Amino acid sequence: MSHLRTANDDEFRAPNHSTEALALALDVRLQDLVDRDALGDLTRSVQTLFGISLRVFANDGFLLAEAVTEQEICSYVGSMSRGRVACMKTVAEARKAEPKTSYEVTHPCFTGAEYRIFSIDYDSRKLGKVVLGPFLPAETSSVPASLAEAEPGTDQKRVLELLPRMPRAKAETITLIGEHLRRTLDLILFSGHKALLTSQMHLSSVRESYRELQEKNASLQEAFDRLRELDRLKSNFLGVVSHELRTPLTSIIGYSEMLVEGIAGPLGDEQKKFVQTINEKGGQLLELIMSLLDLSKLESGTVELRKGDVAIAQLLSEVASTVAPKARRKSISLDYTADPKLPKVTGDLERLRQVFVNLADNAIKFSPTGGAVHLVAAIAATSEDAGDEAGFSLLAPSRRMIEVRVIDSGIGIPPEERDRIFDAFYQVDSSSTREHEGTGLGLSIVKRLVDAHGGKVAVSANLPSGSIFSVQLPLPSPRLEEEAIR
Amino acid sequence: MQFDFAAKELTIKLVYYGPALSGKTTNLQSLHLLASAESRGRLMTLETRDDRTLFFDMLPLTFASKSDISIRIKLFTVPGQVIHGSTRRLVLQGADGVAFVADSQLSETENNATAFVDLRENLKANGMKVAQLPLVIQFNKRDLPSIRSDAELAELARKGKEPVFPAVAMSNKGVLETFLGLLHLTYSSLDAEHRLREKFGLAGPVLVADVAKKLGSKIPAEQLLRSSLGGALDVLTAEKKAGA
Repeated sequence: MSHLRTANDDEFRAPNHSTEALALALDVRLQDLVDRDALGDLTRSVQTLFGISLRVFANDGFLLAEAVTEQEICSYVGSMSRGRVACMKTVAEARKAEPKTSYEVTHPCFTGAEYRIFSIDYDSRKLGKVVLGPFLPAETSSVPASLAEAEPGTDQKRVLELLPRMPRAKAETITLIGEHLRRTLDLILFSGHKALLTSQMHLSSVRESYRELQEKNASLQEAFDRLRELDRLKSNFLGVVSHELRTPLTSIIGYSEMLVEGIAGPLGDEQKKFVQTINEKGGQLLELIMSLLDLSKLESGTVELRKGDVAIAQLLSEVASTVAPKARRKSISLDYTADPKLPKVTGDLERLRQVFVNLADNAIKFSPTGGAVHLVAAIAATSEDAGDEAGFSLLAPSRRMIEVRVIDSGIGIPPEERDRIFDAFYQVDSSSTREHEGTGLGLSIVKRLVDAHGGKVAVSANLPSGSIFSVQLPLPSPRLEEEAIR
Repeated sequence: MQFDFAAKELTIKLVYYGPALSGKTTNLQSLHLLASAESRGRLMTLETRDDRTLFFDMLPLTFASKSDISIRIKLFTVPGQVIHGSTRRLVLQGADGVAFVADSQLSETENNATAFVDLRENLKANGMKVAQLPLVIQFNKRDLPSIRSDAELAELARKGKEPVFPAVAMSNKGVLETFLGLLHLTYSSLDAEHRLREKFGLAGPVLVADVAKKLGSKIPAEQLLRSSLGGALDVLTAEKKAGA
C-alpha cells in the first residue's frame, strides 16, 4: 500500500512500478516533457521579439535550448585575456545562480549589464531555469568602474561606443518577459505531462487487458483440453459398451431366427409373428450398436482404411441398386449419373459405399412420396471456387477433386442448422425423430469417413425444396489421373 | 505513500472511486476551486467528448507544514464506466486511501453496490484489502428528488464501519468534509504504520487543521470531521492510535 523510497530502490522492482511512480509523478524531468527542437523555436522567437539572448537549462545543468547573439561589447572585452577570463566567470556564475526566495534572481556582469534567472516550476517542483541576458538596465547611464578593474586594457572610448548597443530593458519589463516565459512553459509542461500520463496509462491499460485475455485464454484452453479428454473417454466407453452389447444380441437374433425357422419345433401363427418382431427389433438394435461402434472407432481414430482404386460410376450403380427397394416402396424415382471414364479415387470401397448408401438412404427417407433422388458424380469444377477471392493462383487447390452429389426433393435443411447436422445424435427437428426413424448417427459417420479420406462433405439447398449433399474426394496427382483416363 | 528524504516531501495518494456519473470529477473540481493558488496544481482531466472520464483526473495539492516537510497530496478519480476496469485497477495502485462517491438516487443503489464490489475486487487484485484501507463514503447528489432519505443514510452509517458524508458536489457541499475525513483517516493509518509524527513531528490533527485552513475553511477541521454520519472519525481516538 505504501512505500518508503530509499536511495537504492530498484527501478524495476515490480512490473507496475513505473505506473505507480508515474501516478505519483515523482520523476518528471524537463527534458521528458518538452521537445527540444520546439523549445529551441520558442527561445528564438522570444529573442527575436525582445532582442535579448536566453538559455534554458534542465535541473542538472544540461543546456536544453538557447538563442544567443553575441554582443559587440562582449566580443570586444572577450578579445582581451583578462576580460575573457572575467567574462567566462560571470557567465558560469549566471548559469549556477538559483532563485531562492522568489522565482527570479538577478546576476550582475562587470560591464554593468545584467542576467536575470527564472526558475521553471511545475507542480510545486523546480524542473530547470531560464537565463535571460545579458541586457543593460534601462537606468544605466555610465560605464561602471568594475569594467576597468576587470580588464584595465579596455579603451574607454570604444566601450562608450559599444556598450549602448547592448539591448536595454527596464527591470519590470524583464520580470514580465520572465513571467510570460514561465507561463508559456507551464502550459507546455502541463500538456506534455498530460500526454505522458495518458500514453503511459494507455499502455498500461493495454498491457493489463492483454494479461487478462491471456489468463482467460489459458483457462479456456484448460477447459477445452479437459473436454477433449472427456470426449475421448466417452468414445472409448461407447466402443466397449457397444461391443459388450453386441455379443448377447447376436444370440437373441440367432435363436429367434432359429425359432422362426421352426428348428425347435413348429410355432403357432401368433407365436411366429411375435418372434419375428423380436428378431426384427433385434436387427434394428444391432444396426444402432454397429453405428455406435463405427462412430467410436472413427472418433478415436482406430479405423483403418483398406485403400484401393475405386471406380465411382460402378460404386454409384451398386449404391443405387442397394437403396432401390426403399425408393420403390415410397414411389421415389431414383437415378444416377456418372461418366464411366471418371478417374478412379483412392479409397476404401466398403467405407465409401457406406457413405453413399447412408446419404442415399437419408435422401429417400426425407423425400416425400413420389419425390426424386439423383446421384451425380463429376470432376469438381475448381474454377468456380475462385469467385471474388484474390490470389486464386496461390490459393487454388493443388489437387483436383471428384464430387458426388446426392440431390433430394425432401424437406430441406434450414441454413442455420447446416453446420450442426454432422454432429453425432443431431437431427434437425427432434420431434421428427419418430416420423423419420434413425439414430442420428448416419451423417456424423459420413463426415468422419469422408474426412478420413481427405475429402470434404457439405450441404446446400436444392431449390425450391430439398437438399444437396456433396462429397468431394481428392484425386491422385493429375499426371496419374491423366494416365488413368487414357 | 512515498517519502523523499532529500526533498523532505511526503506524497500521499488518494483515490475517488465510485459508479459512473456519481460526481467523482466534480469533487475534484470543487476542491480545485477551494484551494489557494499556491497549494493547488492544475486539475488534469482526461475525458472523452461527452465529459466522461477516460483514464483518470488528477489534482495535485501541496501543503508546506510547520515541521518543514511538505505534504503533497495527489487526488485521483477513476473512470466509472464499466468497460474501463483495467484502468481503474491501475489508478488504484499505490492508493493510500479511497473516497467512495456514491449516487444518492434510489435508482442507483444497485450501481453503487456493483462499483463497491468492483473496488473490492480491484484492491484484491492489487494485493490490498478493503478492510485495511482508509475509506470514507460520500453520498452525493443530496439535492435530487427520489434519493435515499437522511434517516436512511444515518441508519446505514450507524451500522457500517466507514464514515459517511452527505454531499452536493455540484454546489460544493460536503466535498471538503469528505476530503478532510479521508485525509484524517489516511494520515492516521500511515502514521500508525510509519510513525510519521515521531519522525517528522507532524501530527494528523495538525495537518488536517492546517489543510482545512488552506482550503479556505472558516469552520474548524474538527467540526467538519464531526459532520460525518457514523464511522470512527473521532479525533481523540485517532490521537491515541497515533501515539500508541
